[in-house]
Amino acid sequence: MSAGVLALPSGDGLRRIGQRVAIRALVGILVLLASATVTFFALKLTPGDPVRAVLGGPTANPSPETIAATIRELGLDRPLHVQYGLYLQRLVTGNLGISFSQRQPVVRVIAEQIGPTLQLTASALVVAWALALASVIGTTRRNRLLSALGSGLEAVAAALPQFWLALVLLAVFAFGLKWFPPQSRDGFADLVLPTLALAIPLAGFLAQVTRESLELALDQPFILSARTRGLSDLAVRLRHALRHAVLPGISLSAWAVGSLIGNAVLVEVIFSRQGLGRVLYQAVSRQDMPLTIGVTLVVTIVYILASTVADLLFVLVDPRIKAATR
Amino acid sequence: MKRISRRASVARGSTAIATLLLLAGGISQAAADETTPVKGGTLIYATDREPTCLDPHVDGDMPQVFIAQQYTDSLVSQDKQGRIGPWLAKSWTISPDGKTYTFKLRDDVTFTNGEKFNSAALKANLDHIKNPATQSSTAGGYIQQYVNTETPDEFTAVVHLSKPYAAFLEVLAQGFLGIQAPAALARERNVNCESPIGSGPFKVVKWDRQSEIVLERNPDYNWAPPTADHQGPAYLDKIVWKIIPEPSVRYASLASGDVDVIEAVPPESEAEAEQNPDLKLIVADRPGNPTNGNINITRAPFDDIRVREAFIRSADIPAALDSVFFGRYHRAPGPLSAVTPFATADFQHLYDHDSERANKLLDEAGWTERDASGIRTKDGKKLTVHIPLGDFQGPADRSLWEQIQATAGEVGFDVQLESVGFSEWLDRDSRWDYDVIGAYWNTNTADVLRIVLSSEFIGAAGSGGYHQNGTGFKNAEFDATVAKALETQDEAPRRDLYYQAQKIVASNFLQLLTYPQSTRLGVYKTAHGVRLEPSLSVTTLYDAWVSK
Repeated sequence: MSAGVLALPSGDGLRRIGQRVAIRALVGILVLLASATVTFFALKLTPGDPVRAVLGGPTANPSPETIAATIRELGLDRPLHVQYGLYLQRLVTGNLGISFSQRQPVVRVIAEQIGPTLQLTASALVVAWALALASVIGTTRRNRLLSALGSGLEAVAAALPQFWLALVLLAVFAFGLKWFPPQSRDGFADLVLPTLALAIPLAGFLAQVTRESLELALDQPFILSARTRGLSDLAVRLRHALRHAVLPGISLSAWAVGSLIGNAVLVEVIFSRQGLGRVLYQAVSRQDMPLTIGVTLVVTIVYILASTVADLLFVLVDPRIKAATR
Repeated sequence: MKRISRRASVARGSTAIATLLLLAGGISQAAADETTPVKGGTLIYATDREPTCLDPHVDGDMPQVFIAQQYTDSLVSQDKQGRIGPWLAKSWTISPDGKTYTFKLRDDVTFTNGEKFNSAALKANLDHIKNPATQSSTAGGYIQQYVNTETPDEFTAVVHLSKPYAAFLEVLAQGFLGIQAPAALARERNVNCESPIGSGPFKVVKWDRQSEIVLERNPDYNWAPPTADHQGPAYLDKIVWKIIPEPSVRYASLASGDVDVIEAVPPESEAEAEQNPDLKLIVADRPGNPTNGNINITRAPFDDIRVREAFIRSADIPAALDSVFFGRYHRAPGPLSAVTPFATADFQHLYDHDSERANKLLDEAGWTERDASGIRTKDGKKLTVHIPLGDFQGPADRSLWEQIQATAGEVGFDVQLESVGFSEWLDRDSRWDYDVIGAYWNTNTADVLRIVLSSEFIGAAGSGGYHQNGTGFKNAEFDATVAKALETQDEAPRRDLYYQAQKIVASNFLQLLTYPQSTRLGVYKTAHGVRLEPSLSVTTLYDAWVSK
């Protein structure tokens, strides 16, 4: 986006933004509480035996004393409402407990694994926007053939399953051409394929909604007036039409952050990347309550932050919204 | 990325040199293979599953013993023939009643934290495994008989058992009972999980979760077991133990030389690996009870032995293994895999595919009616077999069960494969809510028969908290036979008793045996001296070295 797209808000605007953030924060806390509660009871209702999962699974032969000690240690001998109460109490103080399956504090597990996931999510979001804008600006209303080609490619991209794309990218660029490492190592090269696996389908989505609103925007009278002022086609698209066109894409991005973290599960497993996705998968399958809830809360927080940011971007990109809130 | 291209050029370069040397004619192929170990360098090893705890006393899952084999020593060693030899114990005597073991220990062993190995250290280890707070999964089956250890002098330990236990030395040879530094064990369990300390040829220096475990050479190491190829410190400076869960990625990393050794070579890649001159395969069965379906005989329809035999006879296991595992896996010969001490293949034909006999047996058992879809019925009840499949059982195992489902369907079984999550699977298992359930048990002793099939292990009231006997088999003759086998150390009577035990198991049709568990390593040409430690067919990198 060129700098001309952004209009800096006035002092009054800043105060309004402050209010919006405060309301957001309050709603956010309620959402977190709801998310923690739902996860807690959902895991409790799932049939299963966490004690045995902790003790090594099918080929485990713990003594009765070991089992009793483990049940006590995990607090599973208490009534459900007591477990829930203790759990909320701990949560408020920021203590997420000890992971059953990873055998270390949940906060530490998350701290160790959140970096790679956020890195992947952020780079996928940036690359997805870059691909989407390139396709939309490059092809919309150029000529019928180019337009159809662009929109067709976007539809295909949006429909690609991430895990399938990941395997194809691996087969071609890692196994075949050997341009990139097949598994995660330190460095930039190992981020490329997982990013593309997540970014390409998302780019398809973003481009589809952006294209539609760009087409609408290009039909507006102010575009015609801009053109009559002698602006070049590209300038018209970038400075005037795009500002309207990106709005639905921005809302979609908040949702995309959540879905990227979800889809990261498969991509992290396929590329052997560290990350919260893999942790969450393992935690759920082992009924590791503290870890599952911890990761869920963190993902919820990321989602809340993303939608707050999207909200603010909305105001910055489209001053009409700010006017409407006055 | 940079590293791949450098590796590739090195590879090309060395091939060119080797060709030149061969052309010159002065050098034999053996010399070109570089047989003299080189000291130094890093070996990159990639495995499929990450341990949940590096201390093998806690839990008791295979990935733990693989890592433990690199940093711990065992009290005794076991060779390929199953014979017990010295290691940290120089010698031992066993009291006539089989309940007291007196170990003479080496006096020159130190742990990598500087602590001395002595009788107090041995006591600390056995006590640690037995302590419920350790959450050992193996303690229930393996050292349930352990009472206490006396330490009359620094290098003599007297271990008391509650009853004779001839398999004691065998289980002590396993990496699961590897010896760790007492001060390290005294720390909180979860701390020891992360930074365990042994006296082995390597020491754990870092664990980067979901990525890699880094081990470095123990420069003071000088107490290798007699099963090793050399003495003194290991050749490698460092091992990077990477976690690469996706099989095709793991194999591609090996084929490109990005990693030196991989574990769990995917069966579909094994033929290709054999064709590839850069790669070598090391494949060995693991001792113990092979991969199987435990048949629940405590409820209908499998409380009838004729129906059990019909089910086993209906399954064409060799054909199923050929199609699912590309001909790389072979059928298990009996309730003990072939490499287990005292295993016999004499009864394997009892399990042969024979649908004619299966049909006859089902007719005899009264399952004579058939419904519209060909399912047999009796008194209006369908001949249904519920088999929960856990999400940890991979796609290949699932296909195997689908093949079994198809062939069992031909004789009129309605086989229901029920997909469940890990902890739900465990729950179904512990509540006996299944007709057949997947199982295996890796251990280096024929005493495994007692753990998986004796009445001692049916309920929580027995030794184990959860039933390990997944069949519900309760047979006084079998119980007496496997119990008696623990009373003597003499090979001949033990062999005889375990032969009888295997005969009883086979003729009762308790498990649908599929394939033995196996260790399958792929080794890139830069790695040499990679071996399997005989007690559990687990990788040992003590003799390994790299040329790169």
